[in-house]
Amino acid sequence: MTKLLQTLVDSIAVGSLYGLIALGYTMVYGILQFINFAHSDVFMVGAWLSFLVAVRIGGQTATVEPSVAKALLVLLTAMVCCGALGFTIERLAYRPLRQAPRLNVLITAIGVSLFIENLGQLKWLFGAMPQPMPRLLPDRPLFALAGVNVNLLDVIVVGTAAVLMLLLNWIVFGTKLGRGMRAVSYSPPTAALMGVPVSRIISFTFVIGSCAAAAAGFLYATKYITLQQPAHETWIRLGLKAFVAAVVGGIGNIRGAMLGGLLIGLIEFFGAAYLSPNLRDVYVFAVLILVLLFRPAGILGRATVEKV
Amino acid sequence: MTSANARWVAPRPAAAGTTWLYSLLPLLAAIALAAALHFGLQPAIGPFRTNVLMNIGINVILAVSLNIVNGFTGQFSIGHAGFMAVGGYTAAAITYYTSFRVWGDALMHGGVLSGVPANGWLTAGDALFVGSCLAGGLLAAVAGYLVGLPSLRLRGDYLAIVTLGFGEIVRVLLQQSDSDIPYLAADVQRMSVWQMARHLGGALGFSGVPFYTTPFWVWLFAAVTLLVAFRVKRSSYGRAFLSIREDETAAEAMGVALTRFKVRAFVLAAFFAGIAGGLFAHEIGTALNPRELGFMKSFDIVIMVVLGGMGSISGAALAAAILTILPEVLRSPPHVWPLGLVAIVFVLMVRRKAGRRAALTLAAVTVALEAVRAAALWQGVNLADYRMVLYALSLVVMMIVRPKGLFGVREIWDYRPLGRRRAATVAVG
Amino acid sequence: MMEPLLDIRGLSISFGGLKAVADFDLQLGPRDLQGLIGPNGAGKTTVFNLLTGIYRPQAGSVRLAGRVLTGLRPHQVAAAGIARTFQASRLFGNLSVLDNVRIGCHLRTRHGLPGTILRTPQQVGEERAILARSVHLLSTFGLQDRRDELACNLPYGDRRRLEMARALATDPQVLLLDEPAAGMNPPEKLALRELIRGLRERFDVTILLIEHDMGVVMDICERITVLDYGVTIAVGTPAEVQRDPRVIEAYLGGDTVTK
Repeated sequence: MTKLLQTLVDSIAVGSLYGLIALGYTMVYGILQFINFAHSDVFMVGAWLSFLVAVRIGGQTATVEPSVAKALLVLLTAMVCCGALGFTIERLAYRPLRQAPRLNVLITAIGVSLFIENLGQLKWLFGAMPQPMPRLLPDRPLFALAGVNVNLLDVIVVGTAAVLMLLLNWIVFGTKLGRGMRAVSYSPPTAALMGVPVSRIISFTFVIGSCAAAAAGFLYATKYITLQQPAHETWIRLGLKAFVAAVVGGIGNIRGAMLGGLLIGLIEFFGAAYLSPNLRDVYVFAVLILVLLFRPAGILGRATVEKV
Repeated sequence: MTSANARWVAPRPAAAGTTWLYSLLPLLAAIALAAALHFGLQPAIGPFRTNVLMNIGINVILAVSLNIVNGFTGQFSIGHAGFMAVGGYTAAAITYYTSFRVWGDALMHGGVLSGVPANGWLTAGDALFVGSCLAGGLLAAVAGYLVGLPSLRLRGDYLAIVTLGFGEIVRVLLQQSDSDIPYLAADVQRMSVWQMARHLGGALGFSGVPFYTTPFWVWLFAAVTLLVAFRVKRSSYGRAFLSIREDETAAEAMGVALTRFKVRAFVLAAFFAGIAGGLFAHEIGTALNPRELGFMKSFDIVIMVVLGGMGSISGAALAAAILTILPEVLRSPPHVWPLGLVAIVFVLMVRRKAGRRAALTLAAVTVALEAVRAAALWQGVNLADYRMVLYALSLVVMMIVRPKGLFGVREIWDYRPLGRRRAATVAVG
Repeated sequence: MMEPLLDIRGLSISFGGLKAVADFDLQLGPRDLQGLIGPNGAGKTTVFNLLTGIYRPQAGSVRLAGRVLTGLRPHQVAAAGIARTFQASRLFGNLSVLDNVRIGCHLRTRHGLPGTILRTPQQVGEERAILARSVHLLSTFGLQDRRDELACNLPYGDRRRLEMARALATDPQVLLLDEPAAGMNPPEKLALRELIRGLRERFDVTILLIEHDMGVVMDICERITVLDYGVTIAVGTPAEVQRDPRVIEAYLGGDTVTK
């Protein structure tokens, strides 16, 4: 029982992070129909920027007095910078390829991803060494439930993720901008004819997705403390799992991404806890393949039929 | 065609003896090429460059084989390293454990072609090595069949994700194998085949595999891969692949069995990737570990195919060579202007009018690269630190400036100097 | 009519409650040339898609020379002897004109992958036969001078003819033509009429064609079936169909029918 609850708490915390990252994948896929491989690097940059800013404002070590104001400052800086990064990537690398075959865009995305990783590895940026994230947020057992400690940090992670998701949900379904996004995702030419500024909407989508990824990066860094070097495969692997979450939930579907994130978190942690801890990646990808085989459009997605 | 039910069936002529000669002649040429590189080039370039030469060959096999799936058939596989891993580990395990059973050690027992002239021409060791590579290819082909089956239902990106997932699953499973590889003949004697299959070195990698791989073997297999790819592309069979890439619905209406051909493309490509894995496993200076064969390796191969031009065999091979050499060259960047000059002349000769703009672009790129090099020398910046950054950047720029890859769907020789461009392959026979 | 070559009975399909084709009957004898007409959205192309296995009919059957084709995959239908062209040109754009036709011949080859890799005498022989047949087909359609061009670079009229050549390369018993005259200029259309008439004898093939150009349809078709909202509203000779009040009504006044 204890194990079950503990696993549940862990998986929800991680799952909500997956969900946040998956939002960026799913929104870009929904509008441009391509896998933005560089998204996991935006997530990585978000985590590393959080580290840099935290060190700058709070001193070098883990003895920083935890403060919500400082944490918010770090979070916002990371989000703004990553938003700008996402905007730049789309402008410079993807926009010239709007009409190109999808494989080309995919290769470009891989190129951008390699570029960011290796740029981050340079001495004057993030460096090629793992670093410990300073503690910015207080962490203590909040309450115990059937012998399981629920930590404040977990609650903060899940809470922040939930707030951001609700915000995003509101942006997409409750604002004019969101209506533009949905219009573009159905058909960019038609949306353009209806007066939707397609290019601006696409830029905006990248900015939002990147902000969400940055927030996920910040939360990841605060929860897991150790930051691997930028080109380390951990980042891409986390990104891949988030992408799997987007596909499982139904790619292009924002609520699907959130649901998929939680589901992948659950599968990964329960598989690790009850089957074998070493095969967690296998569970995730096996579920992916099964979902694609039996419900290719994902849980919340709708199948499309090609017209002859 | 007299009655309504009589169908046209391609008639077959009586078999002619010389036709078989034409069939086998390229194979002799392949052996000659491999021997030339092995006995002629290898002694002249030293051990380090020999390794680069072998890596080029292995990457040529990988790129040309992936081109059958991605370039010919228009499917979208980004899990090629997974097939390479299946083949590599199969071959490594067979060689390693069989060596113990036969000779009581895992030393190299090859002959001249494996680099040990003292052992004579062809030895049992050579046979074991080639056999294990082929076995690796076959097992990879089986894996290709299993991955190809979902292409029944999936299109485009979804298939790509499944292949990616396949590659990751292979990697994780190999990482979970037992890292305790026995190194005593007595221990190996006691093991069952099943136990052998479980002891593959885990996350540390499979070490102790004898170094059979030489330029001869690599380029023999590379030449065979190229030969097969060309023969497939210029045949009725290959045109069925191409038609799927062009338009699935129309291809099916023309009688091309989509699923069957897609799966076959996967199987064929996986077979050669498995062989490449076998060569990689037996190469000196490489580490056969799961991390080496993860999705980054798959991406590398996809990049080669796209850079060369989807469907262009010679383009894929050339891109494989360039991308293998490039990171090495960037360690100590040489002048680029001679290469730039050659490229400009080539472009101007091939396409006189449209070539002018391309030539200007090339000239600008050459000047810019020279400037970067000069600035780096002047400022004392070590460009080697930036090699991956530059590599990534040039990839993005390439995709934007020349989205069709170096040669598009054509082969290099379809670009005739000072003449009209030929359409893609028209020759028969 | 004796034993029909292509026997379609009660073919029906609906998409989400919309009856696209209802109870479609049609019999084609050997070397018949029939037309299928109707206003836009009447379900003509859907009939073709049902016949060629792209859609699976919800009711009804298709028989070719007594053999049931219903439920077969498109490539099996092609192998059984029904070939088609597409309304929106679906050529293999990045391949040469010659290769487009050669792909159609692939169906009738017997060598496999091993033969291709080894380049056996049989394979070489079959490739030669394919080449000869393809060149012959191209010259039938006046495309011999364009054989090495990429299909995507062809002008519109040539594309339509290439589609027909490619379909005939599969050596069909029944050829389905989906608006072969679309996008052609008047002289080309005149030539097309003669071409289609000639195909029947030259390739021993039965033709069913969809066409909006009434000049072409009324001139060359022996019988015409008129569809409206998926329902067959008239069947008969061109003269009968032109007089049919329901057809005239379907075409809103009928000026297009009487040309």
